[in-house]
Amino acid sequence: MKKFTYILATLSTTFLISCGGVPEKSKDTKKEKLEFSVAEVLEMVSKENDVTRTLYTKAIVGAGKKQGMKFDEDWQKEDVEAGPLPALFLRGIANDIRKSDVPLGLYLGSDFPINKANKFEGKQGELFKKIKEDRIPQHFYDEDQKVYTAMFADVAGAPACVSCHNKHEQTTKDDWKLGDVMGATTWQYPTDSLSYDATIAVLKAYRNGTKAIYKDYLDEIAAFKSSKKPEIGDKWPSAGGLYLPSPEVFLDSVRELASYETMTVLLK
Amino acid sequence: MLKFQINPLRQRQFIGIILGIVLGTILLFTLSSESNEEYLSLGTMNTGHEDFSCNTCHSDAEGNLWQQVQSNIQYGMGLRENSVEFGTIDVETKKCLACHERDNDRHPTHRFLEPKFRKAVEKINTANCNTCHSEHHGKRVTLKKADYCMHCHEDLTVKNDPLDTSHAELIKNEAWVTCLQCHDFHGNHEYKVPHKMKDTIPLSTLKTYFNGGKDPFSSQKKFTALSEKEWIAKYLN
Repeated sequence: MKKFTYILATLSTTFLISCGGVPEKSKDTKKEKLEFSVAEVLEMVSKENDVTRTLYTKAIVGAGKKQGMKFDEDWQKEDVEAGPLPALFLRGIANDIRKSDVPLGLYLGSDFPINKANKFEGKQGELFKKIKEDRIPQHFYDEDQKVYTAMFADVAGAPACVSCHNKHEQTTKDDWKLGDVMGATTWQYPTDSLSYDATIAVLKAYRNGTKAIYKDYLDEIAAFKSSKKPEIGDKWPSAGGLYLPSPEVFLDSVRELASYETMTVLLK
Repeated sequence: MLKFQINPLRQRQFIGIILGIVLGTILLFTLSSESNEEYLSLGTMNTGHEDFSCNTCHSDAEGNLWQQVQSNIQYGMGLRENSVEFGTIDVETKKCLACHERDNDRHPTHRFLEPKFRKAVEKINTANCNTCHSEHHGKRVTLKKADYCMHCHEDLTVKNDPLDTSHAELIKNEAWVTCLQCHDFHGNHEYKVPHKMKDTIPLSTLKTYFNGGKDPFSSQKKFTALSEKEWIAKYLN
């Protein structure tokens, strides 16, 4: 009788574990060929970010300020009629990326930030010192969060970067010059290599983020009550008028400026 | 009647088992009914979530219960790489953000995933909504002490400080609970920050607000969270 019970128990367990269950997800993803290292992908998307930030700072903030447009930290408050400062434009992109399913992290920091909470510390502080010296990107693996992390120099590429930071009421350094390394972007991704699809998804998430924050800015403009509203469309960047690009026109300009570098990586 | 040849006590055991199965089945069917959800809840829902059904936050895990049992046994025996969730999926920050994500958040949760915040996050995990807004407590904010700003802003300096008691003095005196009397953590309220300490929101009023009371900052908010209906329309339809 005992023997029979054991046989029955073994057969039942085998039946229980061998039939069905929830399909494993990882089996499908493993079939994808991993084409790019995380360092390659982060360098590619950081170059897109450089182009986007410089274009926004020069052609939207710099040019807009000359036409009397305002840009402010509190740009989303009801009683403030202004656009996002470049650092907040980047923050907006980072926020939107986090809404997507792409596990990409993006942060901006400095050794002399306007807001002290953005000051580099620890490992980031050490690596930023090196970046200031040679401007070479720094890569490391963050053991605590188990993510691949890369830092890239954020260079003062437009006169507006320098003038705004030097004149800001809460600035911690007022002698910035054009071309200075004012800070660094930090990027995070959880895997060491990416498939072609995952790489495109990273790029798309970044571009969608750009579009989303720029659209937020245009929505703010639409709600302006007392400030003059710029004409939005394809007249930008013509001089002599208050013009801003539509989100599509702005993104097209980014694509045009970044495509060589981006395509070189994608078609390696 | 069945015969219990080994020992008459077995009859009692048998009746007990049958009763247990019957009662268990009745309980299972009764409690899985939507009208009885409140009996399964761990406690009163937090402010603003009062009318939610369990499924708003607790989505069903993939597969049925039997498949989940099978998969986890397979996992336990090393026959598959990953275990699976059992019953419902854990409620994580991403789930909260599906309704509460806002572009103007002064302290978005993902911000604290940056390596430099590691030490601060060890003290207070601001990357997780649940740290301050633990659900099923019938409140807004469940954190006991409102002095958490000290973990990141202890070396704050404010040039041309407009406050009658300077920020430097407040920090020196470790008066960290006063921060929220002017600055709401997420920054979604339309609120003019006062320049005199006496005009700031008293701590007792803030506590009432945290416990689910009236909003002392402003009724005007730039963004409002999605209602359950809006969430369904956005994500499920």
